[in-house]
Amino acid sequence: MAVAFNHISVFLNTGQNKVSRAFGFIGLGIGVLLLLCSVQMYININQLIRDRDTPKNGYDFISLTKSVTNENMGSDTRFTTADVEEIKSKSFIKDAAPLVSNQFRAKASAGSIIPFSTDLFLESINDKFLDTLPTTFNWKPGQADVPIIFSADFLEMYNVFAPAQGLPQLSEASIGAVNIILECYGSLGQKTSYQGHIVAVSDRINSVLVPEEFLRWANKNFGNIENVPASRVYIKTADANGAGLQSFLQQKNYHVNKDKVKFGRVKQILQGIVSALGGFSVLVILLALMLFSFYLQLMIAKSKDNLRLLMTLGYSPSVLSSTVAKKWIPVYAIIIGSALLLAQLLHFIFQQFYINGREMLSPFLHPISLLVAVILMILCVAINDRLIKKLLFSLV
Amino acid sequence: MESFVLKNIIPDFLETEKVIGSEIWNQDILISKGQKIQVIAPSGSGKTSLVHFIYGLRKDYNGQVLFDGNDVKSFSAEKLSGFRRSFMSIVFQDLRLFPEQTARQNIEVKRLLEPFASSERMEYMTALLGIQSKLDQPAKLCSYGEQQRIAIVRALQQPFDLLVLDEPFSHLDESNREKAMLLIQEEVAARNATMLLVDLKPIEYFNADRILHL
Repeated sequence: MAVAFNHISVFLNTGQNKVSRAFGFIGLGIGVLLLLCSVQMYININQLIRDRDTPKNGYDFISLTKSVTNENMGSDTRFTTADVEEIKSKSFIKDAAPLVSNQFRAKASAGSIIPFSTDLFLESINDKFLDTLPTTFNWKPGQADVPIIFSADFLEMYNVFAPAQGLPQLSEASIGAVNIILECYGSLGQKTSYQGHIVAVSDRINSVLVPEEFLRWANKNFGNIENVPASRVYIKTADANGAGLQSFLQQKNYHVNKDKVKFGRVKQILQGIVSALGGFSVLVILLALMLFSFYLQLMIAKSKDNLRLLMTLGYSPSVLSSTVAKKWIPVYAIIIGSALLLAQLLHFIFQQFYINGREMLSPFLHPISLLVAVILMILCVAINDRLIKKLLFSLV
Repeated sequence: MESFVLKNIIPDFLETEKVIGSEIWNQDILISKGQKIQVIAPSGSGKTSLVHFIYGLRKDYNGQVLFDGNDVKSFSAEKLSGFRRSFMSIVFQDLRLFPEQTARQNIEVKRLLEPFASSERMEYMTALLGIQSKLDQPAKLCSYGEQQRIAIVRALQQPFDLLVLDEPFSHLDESNREKAMLLIQEEVAARNATMLLVDLKPIEYFNADRILHL
């Protein structure tokens, strides 16, 4: 007959030191909850900030312009090829690409559905600096269709003033359906129309981007200019707040998009705080497990004579230890399960009420958080099992 | 288990003069299955030590206790517990009951481990030995004689090939001694087991096949 815990529980002094046991369990619950919340928050921050900022493979992408001051006002503040090469040569700058603008008049209208027409500027940049790069974002001479990547900030601005102008508001998903007539004017005023359509929305670059091939061709054909100097340069750097970069920018009187830098800093700080919280929760879990192990040691020490007698009567030490250890599995399952449910509830509240159910964040815990809970459960059971076995075999 | 052998056992602590002349110490004794052995030993001759050596509780001796050729000293903790569960039962001189637990819990803890006797048979045994009314009383509140009977009933709950009894009737009156002895022999016969009874003097109602003086 298999030994059940009920058969032997009367011989164990389980009632002793209940406070230590209770604190162990409460501590474990709090520790697991903190750890799950910090893991989930770390994932949330990554997901939320990736959608806004886009550090690609751990790099920051920042736009540089030359500061316009009273002294240089009126002179050309654009970047020459030599400027770009100098920027690229710096060790703290991984890569740099000029942002070239149109050297001809361009005008966009959206047809009869959205009665909207505006002069606009077009820019282009090397594809590897784009955060979203659809396969359709390319152009060949003769192609009537021009793909456009639109700035998310511009879309937001448009949506702000659109209702006042009697224009429909547009979502990121629906903007692709809008047919744009792109009119390019040559130096003599001749007009060429292209069919434009927005293929993606960029969080990184505040501009209206067209493929490099199109702008190079259009600048040459409509503006009669080749090798256009860049008004802005995008740089790729591992640390936007690095001392080397900051001093270089100051020395060259280059201006950066401070919001992005600050945002990167905020993200770093947030992740730092959440990581520290994660570390702290691991400490809490370890302390709780230690407290519980003291309880187990005390229970076994106080039941030492009875346990020894059970073994003398023929109870196998390994069966006895696994029977005692099994008793705590439901307890661990309840504690970790409750912490998991509470973490899910907190995440749901965060997702629903603090970021208003934005689609970028699932209302459910990330699988990694669930995996952490499973690993914790296995860890607790394994530690418990090992400890009881060790304590019981020491009595043999 | 077909046989057990006490092979040249000499306790580490025993004076040489007590070894010389003993029919057990430093002797080669083969006990076959089903034999009833009475060991008569005066106080201080190592009687309880012998019981503990056989049961695998102590190893402070030279020589071997062999069960079917296997030395009990070489048994692992797991093997020894399996052996005590299914092949060997014991009544200790110091009884070794759980004092805080009831008589029933003390008996059931053995019966549930590997039941041989049914619960009805257990009830019958306690009734026969006059401790049925004490079943739900903590062992520590029972008299020594009652505790002795609880220990006897507990030893009879499991299957065994060898039953070892260390002064099992020291606190029993004649009537209870007779009843207990008859019950024990009945249970031993039901299992075709070997019985080794160790006491200070010959026990009445026990038809030993062999008497050895320690």
